[in-house]
Amino acid sequence: MELSEYVQSGLQILADSGCFSPSAYAVLLQTAFQSLLNAQVDRVALDHPVLKHIDPTVLKHCHAAAAACILEAGKHKADKSAISTCLEDCKFDRERIEQFCTEYQKNKDTLELILGSIGRCPLHVTDVSWRLEYQIKTNQLHKTYRPAYLVTLNVENSDSRSHPDVSFSCTMEQLQDLVGKLKDAAKSLERASQM
Amino acid sequence: MLLVLSEEHKEHLGFLTQVDSAVVGEFGRIAVEFLRKGTNPKIYEGAARKLNVSSDVIQHGVEGLTYLLTEGSKLMISEIDFQDSVLVLGFSEELNKLLLQLYLDNRKEIRSILGELTPKLPSYHSLEWRLDVQLASRSLRQQIKPAVTIKLHLDQNGDQTTKILQTDPATLLHLIQQLEQALGEMKTNHCRRIVRNIK
Repeated sequence: MELSEYVQSGLQILADSGCFSPSAYAVLLQTAFQSLLNAQVDRVALDHPVLKHIDPTVLKHCHAAAAACILEAGKHKADKSAISTCLEDCKFDRERIEQFCTEYQKNKDTLELILGSIGRCPLHVTDVSWRLEYQIKTNQLHKTYRPAYLVTLNVENSDSRSHPDVSFSCTMEQLQDLVGKLKDAAKSLERASQM
Repeated sequence: MLLVLSEEHKEHLGFLTQVDSAVVGEFGRIAVEFLRKGTNPKIYEGAARKLNVSSDVIQHGVEGLTYLLTEGSKLMISEIDFQDSVLVLGFSEELNKLLLQLYLDNRKEIRSILGELTPKLPSYHSLEWRLDVQLASRSLRQQIKPAVTIKLHLDQNGDQTTKILQTDPATLLHLIQQLEQALGEMKTNHCRRIVRNIK
């Protein structure tokens, strides 16, 4: 786990019980986790009464440092000893380290989920809808009489949140070909997961 | 169902009585060729000179024949109906037989050409897939995230487009289940009854 100078100095202030009383520390820690994990939180609620007497600039510094430390731990899937070593270097006492680790353990899974979902990928298929129709005639050709499928793949684009769905028509044979290939992919997935 | 021919149309086709059957056969061949590849006015001029008439007359004759063939093919009229429709033109027995033969020989091909004129959505061509496992990203290390990457080839109006998509294992199984249900629909009684009865 590598933390920058700015983050380390913020953590050292946080460790100081002269600046942050035990209750102030607990509140700031909670706030830091919430601001990272709770998507509904728009602005960080650093106006808790317990934090009122602390200089706002210092508060922001320490909050940012705590958040950076949490993210770094999450990124590397750090275990308790790695986090403890890191916090010890920043002059945290045993009790504060315990509090941090407990809070981290509680939120670890959500944190990893959020970190894992950041990133680019090709258009992601989320669902499929289909329509079966029986063609009878067109204005150019009567008595066509053939079945056709219209398939729409619902697609999500994680970047722009647009839904550029992919639609196409196919005959029964083509749909069989498509399903056959998808089943091959699924079988190969199953085999790979058993290795 | 009979073909209804306008007066103008009958007049254009009237020219066919003035030439021998080999020429009518040739006109028929030109008509189908034009349907396949588009018209070529130079052919009209060549024929006009050989037969000693204006190229307009030739053009009308060929177009009249084309209309006869395409309308018949579009509606898929039976042999008898075609014969009856042509009777009204007052042609010779030989010419009538020739026209009928022309219709029957080319009907399938003309129908497939007309079929290409329907409004169309992109249609499925083929699909390729690849299994990937994401091991790490900038924001998270030590991952094991399986994914299936798909390259979907589609045809639209003769152009091939490709879409690259990705999905996770759970969604893949869901897609397969849904599409298998779709395939199963054609075998249900409801669909079978409709296919049997709409002719």
